[in-house]
Amino acid sequence: MSETSDGATVELTINGTAVCAEPHMTVVEAAWAGGVPRVTGVGCLEGVCGSCRILIKRGSDVGVALACETIVDQGIEVLFLPPPSTALHQYELAEFDDGWDSQARFHEIFPEASRCRHCHGCVRSCPRGIAVEEGVALATAGRFREAGEAFFECVMCELCDSACPEQIAPAHVGLFSRRITAHFHLRPPNLIHRLEELRQHPFSGPGEKESS
Amino acid sequence: MNGPTLQAALAAYRSDSELPPLPDPIDPDRLLSAFHPDHLRGSITTLKVGPNTGTQCQRELADLLQTEAIIDEVDLAGVPVTDTDVLVIGGGGAGCAAALAAAERGARVLLASKLRLGNSNTVMAEGGIQAAIEPGDSAQKHMQDTLRAGHHAGDPALVAALVGDGPDVIRWLIRQGMQFDQTPSGDLHTRRAGGTSAPRIMHCRDYTGLEMMRVLREAVIQHRSIEVWEQSAAVELLSNESGQKCVGAVLKSQTDGSLRIVRTRSVILATGGLGRLHLNGFPTSNHLGSTGDGLVLAYRIGARLCELDSFQYHPTGLVNPPLLSGKLVTEGLRGAGAVLLNAKGERFIDELQPRDIVSAAIIRECQEGRGIHPESGGVGVWLDTARLERSQPGLLEQQFPKLLARTRIAGIDPRQQPILVYPTLHYQNGGVVIDVNGASSVPGLYAVGEVAGGIHGRNRIMGNALLEIIGFGRRAGASAAHSSHDRGPKKITLEHVNRARRALTLAGMSLEKRAPQIMPAYTAPGK
Repeated sequence: MSETSDGATVELTINGTAVCAEPHMTVVEAAWAGGVPRVTGVGCLEGVCGSCRILIKRGSDVGVALACETIVDQGIEVLFLPPPSTALHQYELAEFDDGWDSQARFHEIFPEASRCRHCHGCVRSCPRGIAVEEGVALATAGRFREAGEAFFECVMCELCDSACPEQIAPAHVGLFSRRITAHFHLRPPNLIHRLEELRQHPFSGPGEKESS
Repeated sequence: MNGPTLQAALAAYRSDSELPPLPDPIDPDRLLSAFHPDHLRGSITTLKVGPNTGTQCQRELADLLQTEAIIDEVDLAGVPVTDTDVLVIGGGGAGCAAALAAAERGARVLLASKLRLGNSNTVMAEGGIQAAIEPGDSAQKHMQDTLRAGHHAGDPALVAALVGDGPDVIRWLIRQGMQFDQTPSGDLHTRRAGGTSAPRIMHCRDYTGLEMMRVLREAVIQHRSIEVWEQSAAVELLSNESGQKCVGAVLKSQTDGSLRIVRTRSVILATGGLGRLHLNGFPTSNHLGSTGDGLVLAYRIGARLCELDSFQYHPTGLVNPPLLSGKLVTEGLRGAGAVLLNAKGERFIDELQPRDIVSAAIIRECQEGRGIHPESGGVGVWLDTARLERSQPGLLEQQFPKLLARTRIAGIDPRQQPILVYPTLHYQNGGVVIDVNGASSVPGLYAVGEVAGGIHGRNRIMGNALLEIIGFGRRAGASAAHSSHDRGPKKITLEHVNRARRALTLAGMSLEKRAPQIMPAYTAPGK
């Protein structure tokens, strides 16, 4: 897991436990090496599962990040955050009539979205550098394709949800925007053509072998 | 092993150097038997107990399959029982697809995930998903490619089901709200995968798995008939009095260690693979939870397994820095035209051969002294991303943002320099033997996704895993929802555990080691 290198070690605390780590370790590796118990929110180790959320204190600066892509630093204090709570906003795409009412439905489902007070908490908390606030504004204006694009690299860590004083749940706003765009507007001709061919002539299985 | 250092190789590298022609292809079987890790001396053993007694099995996996259970009857006294129609174990793409399909048919579903829902190998998938939709392509061709790349060890009936489902799987995903890259005219954009005869990989830049997983996760969370238990690991299945039928599972909370019994008519295993066993000492591209739990549980209750001596080592895992060792570089790059170069700046293999062959060729280059050695250890060859960028400026940023985001952390810019790659343990080719509904040989037990076997033979092609998890996830979910109309179990027991223990004792084997492992040992030294 870790290379053995001589020289200086880095001291930090993780969940209140003092840990000695090697300089190139991530916070996750440092937690393992330091025997920090009950670090359960770790998975992909490459910043896409959004599970290893941490609160991190450097001097007087406090911020949030993903542990698997945060390199240890002398004197930092790290706290693994509990998993995000259940989503507050309920909807099923199958219950939408058509795309024409999606803006109205959006405001029913996410009534808080239009109350953004531009505090930038969501933007500051995003480990992917997403323009979260702008994305929410686009969704509020019904511009779902652009809003969804703004959230393209979102890993659903939901740190922005935790940061939002209006409980807008920006990560879910972004995902709603992406889903509604695909659900109502992605109609690729090559796929539709093949589905139609298959409807008329279903694939019958192994059948005769074509010459290869 | 000889070969230049990383610094020397970088200094000698030019993205506009003339490339000599490819050497004549070597016989693939000879290449595989000489260099593929499955053929390493001492890698394979023979199973002594259980339904696959006498068959060949990877050594680390055999050690795990022939073990005692974690729990015993005494542990179950007073444990609370929950009833449901369908229990899905595993919170990746296959588990979510199965849960949604069962719920769509009116079943009450409980989905248990040992980590957070969606925290899986699916979310890490980059390249894409296969379905034959282009003019000139067909399900028949997709089927031939799949069987051929799998060295004809796959079950034709399963492969036919897989490829036949393809186009409708894409439609289903779009209906759930998943986006795909499109051409200017609105068609789904397709790419070629290694070992295939036509472009049929559909993708969402190089974040296909992330896009799929966040959409399915949201759909599952939002569905009224699906209850989700996170941080809940399956530690054992439950059987009826005769130990012949699966009637539930025992779950253990990963936060407080408490047990819960789930009693059900159908259990769907969707637990993924076993990269975190680090077979043959290899690094892995896999998620932390990939510890082979599903195979252990299925084997102990009597399900037959297949191709246990065949694993996929993805050709292009990162070597450097150590922080990213084993992490995947998508095959999509080779599909887009990136070449592999050895330390002498020569191509040595057709980059779009099936994965096992390309991996064996990389290992050969390194063993024969044509690898590149970083100071921090390891060895690899170049994946020439800089040459690709030079020939198609802007391509990496437009289509491979994940690669750039990841290498940025490591201080490498793949647009300016090639990246060092070496095979990484990626996929379990075999698994639980299933039928076209995902049903195992044990009544009441289904297996879908990487834990299941029989589709990919002895080597999987890119994009067939994402197709399989959705296609077979839906099949198993639908079938399990249907069988949920049967009468429920009368009695829940650990009879199969007793039977497995008797077999181990009779074979004179140790009862000390217990499994499933749940998490890799190195993650929990403090517990």
